[in-house]
Parts: sequence; structure tokens; C-alpha cells
Amino acid sequence: MNLAVDVEGVTKTFGSGALVFTALREVSFQVAPGEIVMLVGPSGSGKTTLLSIIGCVLRATAGRVRLFGEDISERAERDMPAIRRALIGFVFQGHNLISSLSVLDNVRLVLETRGVRRSLATREAKTLLERVGLGDKLDSLPAQLSGGQRQRVAIARAVAGDPPLLLADEPTAALDAQAGLAVTELLAEMSRERGATVVVVTHDPRIFDFGDRIVRIADGQIVTDREALHETT
Amino acid sequence: MMAVPRGPRTTRPVVDVAARIAHVRRYPLTRWLATIRLALRMALHARAKFVGTLFGVVFAALLANFQLGTLFGLLAKNTLFVDNAAADIWIVPPGTTFAQPGQRMSTALVNQARVTPGVERASALVMAGTSIAKPGGGSEAITLVGVDLDTMLGGPFQMVAGDPSALRIADTVIMEDAQRERFGGLNLGSIREVGGYQVRVGGFTWGLLPFGPAFAFADIDLARTIAKVEPDQLNFVLVDVAPGADIHAVKRALESRITTATVLERSEFRALITRTLLSQQLGITFGVSTAFGLAIGFVIVLLSMYSSVIDNLRELGTLKAIGYTNLDLMRMLIVQAMLYAIVGSIIGLGMVAGAAEGIRSANLSLVIPRALVLATPPAMIALCVLASFLAFYRAARLEPGMVFR
Repeated sequence: MNLAVDVEGVTKTFGSGALVFTALREVSFQVAPGEIVMLVGPSGSGKTTLLSIIGCVLRATAGRVRLFGEDISERAERDMPAIRRALIGFVFQGHNLISSLSVLDNVRLVLETRGVRRSLATREAKTLLERVGLGDKLDSLPAQLSGGQRQRVAIARAVAGDPPLLLADEPTAALDAQAGLAVTELLAEMSRERGATVVVVTHDPRIFDFGDRIVRIADGQIVTDREALHETT
Repeated sequence: MMAVPRGPRTTRPVVDVAARIAHVRRYPLTRWLATIRLALRMALHARAKFVGTLFGVVFAALLANFQLGTLFGLLAKNTLFVDNAAADIWIVPPGTTFAQPGQRMSTALVNQARVTPGVERASALVMAGTSIAKPGGGSEAITLVGVDLDTMLGGPFQMVAGDPSALRIADTVIMEDAQRERFGGLNLGSIREVGGYQVRVGGFTWGLLPFGPAFAFADIDLARTIAKVEPDQLNFVLVDVAPGADIHAVKRALESRITTATVLERSEFRALITRTLLSQQLGITFGVSTAFGLAIGFVIVLLSMYSSVIDNLRELGTLKAIGYTNLDLMRMLIVQAMLYAIVGSIIGLGMVAGAAEGIRSANLSLVIPRALVLATPPAMIALCVLASFLAFYRAARLEPGMVFR
């Protein structure tokens, strides 16, 4: 089967000599296309490091990473920005919207970065923002929105341009319980609608079961990998 | 553990990675335009930072233009007489560097010039230092310019009162308007002693104030009498070239006839004066102050842009994470640098124009040549782009992975 994410024997160390720190130890981990995986574990366990390597923003010290069959471990550093634009949508812990841009511009920027013409990008950005329930906030600045609304913009931005892989880092960390659940539900819904593969790093046990699988990581190694509880509607 | 309801899942066709990468690389212009818009929005959003950076550019543009404008003004004051003497060629004593009193030469030179082919008119000019007595006592130095009234070469210009023809009236001089109060409240018709000789004021010029005493004009014979210059002596010979004659050829012909003096075209004399002034104190003084202004502006812009990058590290990291390259970030910073430079240049030039009008006087005028106005925005762009490199260096070192920390 053609895997969406195929991590094979990945090790990541930081520092050198006596100060070397091993964040990941020969981790192997696969995600099927369209699957939603919750990557969970205590702080410092290596889950964000693993997400960064899958997201092509950090290079592994050893091992291989393939995205949709493409071995990105072999690609030059200069290719990484184009790979990220082509394949990956990010949802960050702190939403990381551009504060000087309106909600619409934040989403449109990603589309234009992915080569979508401005008129088409405007149309698609509006559609996405309506989909996340912010059709009436197009001209608002991020500072004028609540935390939950900002994270919904971040989800619209992540799925803009239809990337096949979505990576979310603690998407509910800055939100209250209700907003956190709503945002995760939205992320799961939108990724299912689009058939996107999703890897979510989270501490939040309330959202574990929005995934298809829950992969637990501790001390830089995967310790459990199980299917989530779910019911089909 | 709660059970989470699931909706239907869309099955996506197999992802063609190469095709997707090719697609996002296919329209770089779209990304560049988005980058330009983003750069402008980010620059204008942080208003305090924008104003601070702009201050640096305005400061640099203002100080550089003010200093250079003053320098050009001072140079113009010293070349004004040469520019307006209506002479195409000057015959000057050897070693002359200014149009000021100096060595004297024989009046025979005038005749030698007049018989040279291509010369329309040639006349003597006497220039001598003397003084004007003030009614309340004391005196002030002046430079008395004796003019051949037949040709009026080297005669008074920029008249604000009276007429150059007033010099035809016996014992009449034309004085500098800006010195009227200094010379004891001069008016048209005032009687004063110049070099111990009583004269009447028949007119006023404006702004003929080179380094040294102000110019006063008189008939050449009167000037000789006042300044005690022998009738067969002069300071300069002014030559007017005949219409259609080649000025360079006339100059060469004069040089072959006259070996005891230096023959200079007007432009050469002007350049000589300018060169002399610049090589003495003016060039260093104004060069240093102009460079100082540019350096201060450079440092302000450099620090503002660097601090702006530091303030926006997370946003820049986010841009890198979503696929911006270092080249994109460099474009952003260059666009911002150009915005600061263009807006700052316009404000700076506007302030210089206001200052030039405000301080304009016979003693000091800012001269801002069109070339300086046109050169200011490119110079400020160069300054700002150069100053943005430290900011770019910081942005380029930014790890996109920082957004996950």
C-alpha cells in the first residue's frame, strides 16, 4: 500500500559531545492515506520532534521519512519549502496567524503561496472561512477574534490549497474545553471531507478519540499504537 | 473514554508528489506579488516601528540634502560672478583660483585679445579690495569691481534696485542689498566714502557675497581712482566670443598669443573655483557632515529593521514553515526597505524644500540641484537595502521548526 507517512528507524539527536540529547530513538511509524493519528505522550517525549521531522521543518539525524512514497530524507534542504507548500498544512499551538493580515488575507496568503491566482484564492478562502463559520469575520484582524475563532482560521489556512497531509501541534492547548472540542471536531470533519491524512500532537485526552489511531510516545520511542474508540454515524 | 461519531470519509486519489511540487513552483509571480503585499502590510501594521524607521530615512535624506544643498549654495556664491559676468573666456593672472582681487596684469592684454580671431569683445576688469566708511564711524571691507561700461562685461546683475546704467553717472557705485544695514543704512542716493573717495549709491544687487567682502560695482576709471590702480593695470580680461565661433579654438588662439597669463573658458574657471573650494575646507567639512547624516540614518534603519524582525520572529518562522524561502524573506525585507526609502525620501526632500525656502537669504541659500533630488530616492533605497541585510541575516538563520516550540 502507498503510505501517506512512512517513518523508518528515525533517530534525532540535539547538541554534541557530552551535551548530546537524543529526542527520538529509531522510531518507525506509518500512517495510511486519509487516516487521523493522535500522537500523544508526556512533555519532552519527542512527539513534537517527530511531527517537525514529518513536517519537513527538521532533519532526522538517522533513518528515513517518506511522504506519499517520496523519500524526503534524500531531498536537499533547498527543496523543503516547496515540499511543505505542496504537501503539508500546519495547525500550530498558538494559531500563528499573521497579525497584520485580515482573516481572509491569512487564508488567501497560503493559497497564493501555493500558486493559486489571487481571484481564485479569494474565492476559495471565502468558501473555507464560511465552512469554518467565520464568513462574517473576513475583514477582522486576528486580534479581534476569540481563541477558538483564531484556531478555526488556522484550520481553514491549513486546509487551503487542499494539502494531502495536515499536521497539528497541540491545537487545543490554548483553548477552553468546549472550544477545544469544537476545533478538533472541525479539523477531523474537514480532513475527512477532503480525504486528508492528519497527524495531531496532543496532551489533551478529551480529543484522543477523534483520531483513528492513538500512538503513544515516551522517551523518544513509540510505546503503544492502538485504534481509537469510535462509532460510525 | 468517549466514543466519537464519525462522518463519511472522502477517498483521495493517489498523491502525485512530483506533480504537486511542480504546481507550487509553476507560478512564482503569484507568490512574489503576495510576498510584496504581505511585506507592505507588515511594515504599515507596526506603526511605531514604521515611524521610527521612517525617521531614520528622513533624518538621512534631510541632513544629507541640507549639507549638500548648503555646500552647493556656498559653491554657487563663489561662482556666481563668473557665471553671470557675460564672458565666455577669462584671462587671469597665473595661479589664480578665485574671481577675487589678486595679481595685476597689463592692459596690453586687452588689445592682444581683441585682435584674436573669433573674439567679439574684450574688456578689462579691475577688482580691488577697499573699504566703505559708515556714517557713525568705522568702516567695512568691500571688493570694488571696476567695469568697462562700453561692454558691461563683468557688470552688475541680479539688481533689486536701480539699473546697471547708473554706473554711467559720475562717482556712482552699485552696492550689495544684503549689506545695506551693515554699511550704515544705505539707500538709493546715499552718499558714502569708499576708499576715502565720496560716491553716490546708484543701485543694489542681491546675493553677490562670495567668501570675502561683498562686491560693489563702479566704472573702471572710478574704481582705478578709488583703489589706486594704475591706468595700465587690470586684474582680469573678459572675452566675449563672436557668434558661431568655436570657443575652444578661440581659447587656443588666445593661449598662443598670451603667454604671461592663464586663459580659461567660463566653465573651466567655474570648475577651478569649485575644485579649489572642495580641496580646501569645504569638501572635508561638508563631506564629513553628509557622511555622518547618512551613517546615522543607516544605523537607525538597520536597528529598526533588525528589531522589527526580532519582534516578528514567530510570524517569520510561520511563513518559513508554510513554505516561504529565505529568498522570499529577502524580497519582503527589500520591499519594506524600498517603502521606507521612498516615503522617507519624499518627506525628507519636502522638509529640505521647506527649509530652503525658510532660510533663503543673500548670505546663505540652499541650492538643491535636480540631480540631487533625483539621486536622493535611489541613494536612500541603497542605504535601506544595505541596512536590511542584518535583519535578513537574522531571518535567514530562523529555523522553521521554531514554530513548534
